[in-house]
Amino acid sequence: MSECNGGVTVRLHGALRHAVGTRDVVLSDGVGTIGDVLHLLAERHGERAARMIFDRQGNVWRSLILLVNEEPASLGPATPVKSGDTISILLPLAGG
Amino acid sequence: MAVTAFTEEQIERYSRQIILPEVGGIGQAKLLAARVLVVGAGGLGSPVALYLAAAGVGSIGIVDSDCVDISNLQRQILHGTADLGRQKCFSAKEALESINPDVVVTPYPVRLTSSNILEIISDYDVVVDGSDNFPTRYLVNDACVLAAKPLCHAGILRFEGQVTTIIPGQGPCYRCLYPEPPPPGLMPSCQEAGVLGATAGVVGAIQATEVLKLILEIGDCLVGRILIYDGLAMSLRVVRVERDAACPICGDSPTLAGLVDYEHFCGLAAAEEQEYE
Repeated sequence: MSECNGGVTVRLHGALRHAVGTRDVVLSDGVGTIGDVLHLLAERHGERAARMIFDRQGNVWRSLILLVNEEPASLGPATPVKSGDTISILLPLAGG
Repeated sequence: MAVTAFTEEQIERYSRQIILPEVGGIGQAKLLAARVLVVGAGGLGSPVALYLAAAGVGSIGIVDSDCVDISNLQRQILHGTADLGRQKCFSAKEALESINPDVVVTPYPVRLTSSNILEIISDYDVVVDGSDNFPTRYLVNDACVLAAKPLCHAGILRFEGQVTTIIPGQGPCYRCLYPEPPPPGLMPSCQEAGVLGATAGVVGAIQATEVLKLILEIGDCLVGRILIYDGLAMSLRVVRVERDAACPICGDSPTLAGLVDYEHFCGLAAAEEQEYE
């Protein structure tokens, strides 16, 4: 896990925003990839949030849309992130 | 319909959009001849159907098997207090036809299933997803892909909404974006997490705009893009999303040749079994 000297902003949406209770989370250490970001979020924000991020097998849930600076994260969870990046996590919204 | 076929009243009624060069008499004739199916007469379906009817979309189908409940009225603006207990699709028909007598509304007081959806959507040019559950959303997506019907999708929760337009063969479908439904009960519904009524209004109005553009063949629709509305930050963002070449319904080698059991696909059958164990 490579170190990131500044902060990575994680913009949450939908049910994950509701579970975490905030729109943005800033992670200032220990994040080299989106996978690192997702693990930290799951560790810090409770079981419900964790279940929205990882499936029962511990894999990143396939229905998360992951964006780096508003562009699709081409390598999925393996996509590198750096200080100043904004990671957006979109989930499906059932409500209508 | 030729432009000369309009009545004086129609020319006056639609004058503010006929003067738009992107609409004109030819566009108005397209709208009057268009057939749109709105799935759900709830928070999203209400503004979508109201704007389509007001614009003169000639045939609107409304699918909803629910009845009007008092907790709906904060956001489902097709219905009023006098409609409590009525079936939503009939309440919707009355509201829409009273706004515009040019519009014929066909009510479908049924739950969409794998058995009835293909027949119902075959009568329409465009489908709008304003449903409130994952099984229906996957069902509507798959049916529209199989029938090659344009679909305008949206979902809402609390102060947020997402809109995307699916044109089979031209961009990603709902399954490309969200290949796997969430475990049952994990995602809070609007009943659990709440929703601001105006969120449905903003997002539904965007869906209506997409549908009108599809009919008029103007502008750039949200194909391969998701519009994200955030009412708290008051921001609108549009992000690019990609088609999944391995998508089971619209991919290069589809593995689904027909519709499936969507309650089962979304794990609802398994969850109910577990509850009774």
